[in-house]
Amino acid sequence: MIRTIVSIFITLALILGVSTYESQRVQSTFDEFDKVLASLYEKTENGEVTYEDGTATEAFWENKKNTLHVWLPHTSILEIDYQLYEAVGYLYVRDYKSALPKIEILRGMCKNIPQSYRFSLENVF
Amino acid sequence: MALIFIRTAIIFIATLVVMRLMGKRQIGEMQPYELVITLIIADLACIPMADNSIPLLYGVIAILSVYFLHQIICLIDLNFPWAKSIVSGIPSIVLNKNGIDDTQLKKNNLDVSDLIESLRVEGYFALDSVDYALYEAEGTFSALPKRNYMELQQSLPIILVDEGKFDEKNVVYTGHDKEYFLDVLKHHGCVELKKVLVMTVDGNGKVYLQQKGKKYETFSLNWEKQLW
Repeated sequence: MIRTIVSIFITLALILGVSTYESQRVQSTFDEFDKVLASLYEKTENGEVTYEDGTATEAFWENKKNTLHVWLPHTSILEIDYQLYEAVGYLYVRDYKSALPKIEILRGMCKNIPQSYRFSLENVF
Repeated sequence: MALIFIRTAIIFIATLVVMRLMGKRQIGEMQPYELVITLIIADLACIPMADNSIPLLYGVIAILSVYFLHQIICLIDLNFPWAKSIVSGIPSIVLNKNGIDDTQLKKNNLDVSDLIESLRVEGYFALDSVDYALYEAEGTFSALPKRNYMELQQSLPIILVDEGKFDEKNVVYTGHDKEYFLDVLKHHGCVELKKVLVMTVDGNGKVYLQQKGKKYETFSLNWEKQLW
């Protein structure tokens, strides 16, 4: 019986620990990425952006997404990849008007993705 | 991951409740919660394995959640008998010294023919050859035979009336017609066929008759020869 109780507490601690770490990790990663995107958006809006700014954002995301694969379904990450590559593509051809909505979408995803995996009633059901 | 834990717990409890409601027919040699774990864990292990887009951790956490729930139920099973009866169920005595308890049978979604089949599997062919028969909580069948049970099953009994309805094939097999058996029933105080829970007859003409809500009776039809 003691073994059963101990195993219950260990399993619960493991699940709660992983859940808390996941929640914080995902949130902080997307918060950081949102800051980078906010800066890119501002530069694009002011016409000061360069292609290198775009590739730097891409590199930042590439670095972060490796760990996100552990926590998030890969389809969510692929969706961000797709939008980001398109935005950087517009920056390469200096089509800032088209790049802005793409960056806007990416910023929206940074808010929505962590929320959709957060513990809440609507997500449970 | 907390989401997966909660979702797994909800699916686990929902499946367990359904399994308990389905009765013992659906279980068979496992406690209801053990069957639920077997059903759920196979899918939990397969989905992240086969689908590359789902992180492996999702499967691991879900399996850990099932393990956690299993341990909780084990703890309840060992320490709280009242809760054990809710989670795992209790044995159902479906046949006693008064005959078949059709209320217990219906509670477990079983009928008389299921009971007769279970008895035959255990080696008891006549309904009056056992004093008690029960379905255990995990769905297995047990029976306590009468001391002289071998003498009581000299020939294979067949069902003539099952829950108020004649088994046409078996009636023909006896070489008699429905009228003959309706007369037999009338002679034993049963005027309405729908009040008969079960009536069997063996090759020697030995009848087992039980009316709904009454004790069973056995009698012989005094056939001249053994028919089968």
